[in-house]
Amino acid sequence: MSITNHKVLVANRGEIAVRIVEACIQLGLEFVCIHTAEDAASGHVRLAREKGGKKSLYRVSSYHDANELLAVADDAEATAVHPGYGFFAEDYRFARRVSQRDRKLIFIGPSWRVIRELGDKINTKRLARSLGVPTVPGSDKPIYDELEAEKIARSLYEFQRQQGIESPMVLVKASAGGGGMGIEEVHDIDLFRSVYRRIRNYAARQFKDEGVLIEQRIRDFNHLEVQILAERGCANIVHFGTRNCSIQSTGLQKRVEVAPGFDPSAVSYSFDAQKVLDDITAHSLAMAREVKYDNVGTWEWIVARDGTPYLMEVNTRIQVENGVSAAISRIKGQAGVNIIKEQIRCGLGEPIGYNQEDITFEGVGIEYRIIAEAPENRFSPWVGRITKFDWKQEDWLTMHTHVPTDQPYDIPTEFDPNLALGIVWGNDLAEVRLRGLNFLDNLTLEGANQAGEGMKSNIAFLHNKTPHILLF
Amino acid sequence: MLDISAVLEKIKASPYKELTITSPHTGVLTLPEGLAPGTQLHGPMGTWKEKPGSLLATLDRERNEKNIHCPEKGEVVWLNTELQGSFVEAGVELVRYRHFLSKEEVLEQILKQALHLYLAPERAKYYFVPAVDIKIKVSGPKAVSVRDGEEIFIMSRMKREAPLRYSGPEGVIYAVYFNHNQNVDTGQALIGVCPPDLITQVEDVVTRVQMEWKERE
Amino acid sequence: METEKKIQHLSERLTYIRDIFGSTQKESLSLLESKMADVRQQEGHLSPEKRRKLVQDLEDLFVFVENKLETSLTAMDKVRIVRHPQRICLRDILENVYDNYTEIGSMDEHSIDPSMVIARAYISRRRGKKTVNQSIMVIGQEKGHGEEFRNGGSVKPWGNAKALHYMKVAETENIPVHTYVFTPGSYPIEDTPGAAQQIAANLYEMSSLQVPVVAIFSEGGSGGAEAIGLADKRLMLSHGYYSVISPEGAAAIEGRLRTGQRAGQELVEACAMRMHITAQDNLRMGYIDRIVQEPSLGARPHHYDFFRTLRQQVLRATDEVVLGIRGNGLYRTIALKSRERRAKSGIDFEKTYVSWSLSSNAKVRLINKRHAKFRALSRNAAPDSTPLWERMQTRWQEFTAEMVSHIRYHMLHKHQQKLSEIAGEIESEWRLFFERLVNPVRNVIAKVLGSGEQVNADTARQLTELSEWNDTQEQRGGNWAWVSRRAKEDRAVTCPNATVHGCLDIWAPDLFGEFAGVCPNCGHHFPMEHQWYLHNVFDKNSLYEFDAHMEAGNPLSMPGMDEKLAEAKRKTGMKSACMTFEAQINDVKMVVAMLTGAFRGGTVGAAEGEKFIRAAERAKRKRYPFLAYVHGTAGIRIQEGTNGVIQMPRCTMAVRRYIDAGGLYMVTYDTNSYAGPVASFLGCSPYQFGIRSANVGFAGPGVITETTGVQVPPHYHNVYKALERGHIQGIWDRREMRFNLHQALMTMGGRNLYYR
Repeated sequence: MSITNHKVLVANRGEIAVRIVEACIQLGLEFVCIHTAEDAASGHVRLAREKGGKKSLYRVSSYHDANELLAVADDAEATAVHPGYGFFAEDYRFARRVSQRDRKLIFIGPSWRVIRELGDKINTKRLARSLGVPTVPGSDKPIYDELEAEKIARSLYEFQRQQGIESPMVLVKASAGGGGMGIEEVHDIDLFRSVYRRIRNYAARQFKDEGVLIEQRIRDFNHLEVQILAERGCANIVHFGTRNCSIQSTGLQKRVEVAPGFDPSAVSYSFDAQKVLDDITAHSLAMAREVKYDNVGTWEWIVARDGTPYLMEVNTRIQVENGVSAAISRIKGQAGVNIIKEQIRCGLGEPIGYNQEDITFEGVGIEYRIIAEAPENRFSPWVGRITKFDWKQEDWLTMHTHVPTDQPYDIPTEFDPNLALGIVWGNDLAEVRLRGLNFLDNLTLEGANQAGEGMKSNIAFLHNKTPHILLF
Repeated sequence: MLDISAVLEKIKASPYKELTITSPHTGVLTLPEGLAPGTQLHGPMGTWKEKPGSLLATLDRERNEKNIHCPEKGEVVWLNTELQGSFVEAGVELVRYRHFLSKEEVLEQILKQALHLYLAPERAKYYFVPAVDIKIKVSGPKAVSVRDGEEIFIMSRMKREAPLRYSGPEGVIYAVYFNHNQNVDTGQALIGVCPPDLITQVEDVVTRVQMEWKERE
Repeated sequence: METEKKIQHLSERLTYIRDIFGSTQKESLSLLESKMADVRQQEGHLSPEKRRKLVQDLEDLFVFVENKLETSLTAMDKVRIVRHPQRICLRDILENVYDNYTEIGSMDEHSIDPSMVIARAYISRRRGKKTVNQSIMVIGQEKGHGEEFRNGGSVKPWGNAKALHYMKVAETENIPVHTYVFTPGSYPIEDTPGAAQQIAANLYEMSSLQVPVVAIFSEGGSGGAEAIGLADKRLMLSHGYYSVISPEGAAAIEGRLRTGQRAGQELVEACAMRMHITAQDNLRMGYIDRIVQEPSLGARPHHYDFFRTLRQQVLRATDEVVLGIRGNGLYRTIALKSRERRAKSGIDFEKTYVSWSLSSNAKVRLINKRHAKFRALSRNAAPDSTPLWERMQTRWQEFTAEMVSHIRYHMLHKHQQKLSEIAGEIESEWRLFFERLVNPVRNVIAKVLGSGEQVNADTARQLTELSEWNDTQEQRGGNWAWVSRRAKEDRAVTCPNATVHGCLDIWAPDLFGEFAGVCPNCGHHFPMEHQWYLHNVFDKNSLYEFDAHMEAGNPLSMPGMDEKLAEAKRKTGMKSACMTFEAQINDVKMVVAMLTGAFRGGTVGAAEGEKFIRAAERAKRKRYPFLAYVHGTAGIRIQEGTNGVIQMPRCTMAVRRYIDAGGLYMVTYDTNSYAGPVASFLGCSPYQFGIRSANVGFAGPGVITETTGVQVPPHYHNVYKALERGHIQGIWDRREMRFNLHQALMTMGGRNLYYR
């Protein structure tokens, strides 16, 4: 089945829009980009102008307005929508609208039902438990009864103490909540009741649902992910290994990602790291099969210091850090894997075309997120004009950026000041660390803001973290 | 010292401003019949401005027709008839119209030259600090006087807020030039401050404009 | 000089005739005019005697012509009579009908509302040789003779509040109330209180006011009339009118005119006739008890005979009310009968004394009788196509239900409560005792054995394995049981608050499906169909409709109305705008009366009123909470005339009976609810809730501007404003109606029953 008569609406901006366009070009697909007034200088706009066909670039009022995207898709005669990440990527209503409107389009992502099912945390947790997939100890349904809640909390303290945790902690959260609203930690069982009541009342007022979840608060862990790819209908499903995303900002946003998730060949762990990686991969695949997963997705895990993994959530979209998995993956021995390309192919209905045995892994990859921010000042974003942006080309380095290198660039104030992703590959952990430092040392990033203050970036922070990657 | 007569004469020479209505979003454009250069336009009317101004254009997006109305009185200068019936992008110029200045607007223009302007240091959204905000809402900006180094603004960008100090001569806030939910570009005026020694001159401007300016339809 | 006065007087009568008949009856008018001109021309030259004769002839001619014109009066002529500045007003009546009076709280324009006049008055009657002054509280609208400040008898809410206040004073003083209805309608202002809110309060209180009330209607304009018109005896002046709406208003609706346009004179005349607004019409329909005959072409201040008649009539009416409820049955019948005979033979009521103060038993009978009187009204105005056998069955069911609840709630309930209290006490005692006994032992065992391994494994399993969960909340994730047809259209919808709150356009299938018609950004509620509530608020399959056969009819045979009703019935599949049913929320049973905007704007006529009353009675019988869910109502169905208006007191009284018996009555307003129903049986509930973005009030903005000349600001009737005015008690999100309703039942009712 040929997919080349498709035209893809790139419903995103910046670095991911650039990469989607590049993938479309590689696949011989037409595409159409959108941009807002503030974003006119972004690399994806330039790329669309240079490489786009007829009706390939539109100015819209907002990336957040689905009506704008679909009106453009219709006028440009697009047949599919790629949401990228952020914006509409995990919005099942958008996916549903795209596929149910009169002029139907293909949503390049999992089907809306899958997005909805895995977007619900309780649902995901129960699905996991029904398959024997480990999850964070605690309730897996809303608790409405105070006595029951207290009973669970007590057993959670007991449970943690048995595991040798010195100061056990319990999380109470509104089951209907999300985004950090209505969550509180409890250190002391004597305080539990008052916290429980506070959260319950908050939930009743805020969400009209008194349900509360009670979970163990796990500290001291590594953040791992499993990259999944499934074709439509879920007849074939493969994984592209694991990643470790434990280096984060104070706001718990990722700054450095490493593939694979652990490296037992170079680092000694207090647990059987290879088994953990194998287990979480197997669990992720089992769940994906169960829900008939049908595009790219990431299963997020936390691994406690003793090596116990717990499923956190499923991201039903392509992720920023997909490239670092691609860097260590080989399909039938070939390098140059592009997971976005694979996503588009499968999204449009092509079969994967290879099996898990055809996918092998080589070396270690690091992805650096280069951001205009001040890590020393709680990672506060920096806005201004970039006057010089340059790096040394290497065959072990891939740079993804929407920031032009041949002209000054004003950072738009509307979005996070992400500037570039630098993906470094090495034969082993030692080599990739060296290359990573080498890359950062040769990176030039200069600029100033209106007040004439020099540019701030997280390069030094990334530098400091590099020696510690994959250590637990 | 500002030469009021000269400024007033200059404004009298071109007693209007030209404004452009751009498409707020994408959609298929329909310009209403009968709209042509020279057509008189009116702004919102009614006791509570509940009746919208003249219809300037209709945008049909996702089977939802939306009317774009004129925000003030004026006269059509130019219409983008080329795009009639076609799909337009956001931010495309649709209609240009000429608006004859009212007394208040002339006054504002002159005052902007007479007052001390405090400019936005960066492109951001600006707010007054709560104490000042309440005072302005209750008794109007002229009730607030500011000193050099006084913390009166909050600057908000990239989802973060920072306090901002006023710098310039001491005086009362005579005019506020920003809206709380809109971005202000670097170098745009935020407030106009009237130092005490300027008050007589400013009052003179007010009376002169009140007496000399004739509003045109 | 005397003739001069007479001529002056006659020329006033001429002006009056001209005002009443205008362009019609030209012949009679020109006859009188020419004769009048003749007399004026001649009288200067004549001797006083001849002059007197001439004027006498002219006066005779006037009487003759007036009598002739009287026979041809149309309904609209009567409307003009009633509105004429020369018509008698309340102060004329106070002067001439009562023997003495003191005005309460007003001195011309110095009053909280000069269009409402209160007076403590008395009438002197003879008891044997003694003269007795019988006190009365006189309450009525004062139109005056054209004084601007009287506002034409259009009473503001605080005027009606004053009226209510003095009715309660009369109740304390145990003296009867005479109300005089001289109003074109209430002043449709929303204030604290709003017009509807206050009228509803008046109706609710008057329905059980413990003193005799006699109402005399001259101009009975809809809601304004009802505010003081709920009475034991309702008299009507022969040239008055009593109507749901002014003929001009009716014509505007019939002619489908837009705000500001005026209906043609012919249409207005036709509407006045079709609406059956005259005293004779209303007597025939049973909404008044008796007509007080006026002189030809209507009573004016110089008709002293008329005031005597009126005095006799109000005395008689008051006596009848009092005698009708006297304890002694035998005496009562005899007295009544003899009185009726005497009335026919023209016996003077002044000379026979009846005490008007009531014993406590008589007060109970008074109220029962008042309720029975209104309950029986408008029975014939609503066709009920229920087959006879089914009706019999219903009666039987009603009877058994009554028996069952009587036994359950009155006889068993009390004992049960006592028993369970005792049982509870014993149990607590025992538990404390047992704990003290067992705990030390338990602690020792625990110490000896340590915490068992078995326990740990169980704990771990409970914390990490899938638990059982029957997710009963089907609405999670917007899976509504019923979804609007509008959710099938692929189009975007703009929120009306978009410019203020920056709401993005919403895709119709999301908006009308999952979002339940609520803007996800600002929370604006788009109107939803009533089916949405039927299926998404109440427990699945818990609805049981009753009285479905009651059908909206056309009691006044208004032309075109049958077709309109047929169309509404076809379109909605309903037989009236009111659907009554039993339903459950989380197994809590209740009776619901729903007014749906889909059927003729949710207007209330005789059928809707009767269904509402039956629903209230059913709730009372079964001891269920009673919910009025108002999907929307535009008011009383004007095409039914007074058959519709009378539902205001009727339904309010049904609600009053229900609440007095201990029931929990709640009202929920959705979309738009206006006029009569809000100003009576809905507005009187102590627990009224608005669905967000709904409007509640008396008259819509167009009507307000037309009748008062005042422009009302946008959102004038919005529920938030209604909440601020104290009309409603809370605002609910549509999606949470089920939750809120259940919570309201649990908090306002008891734990097991929502009935005191």
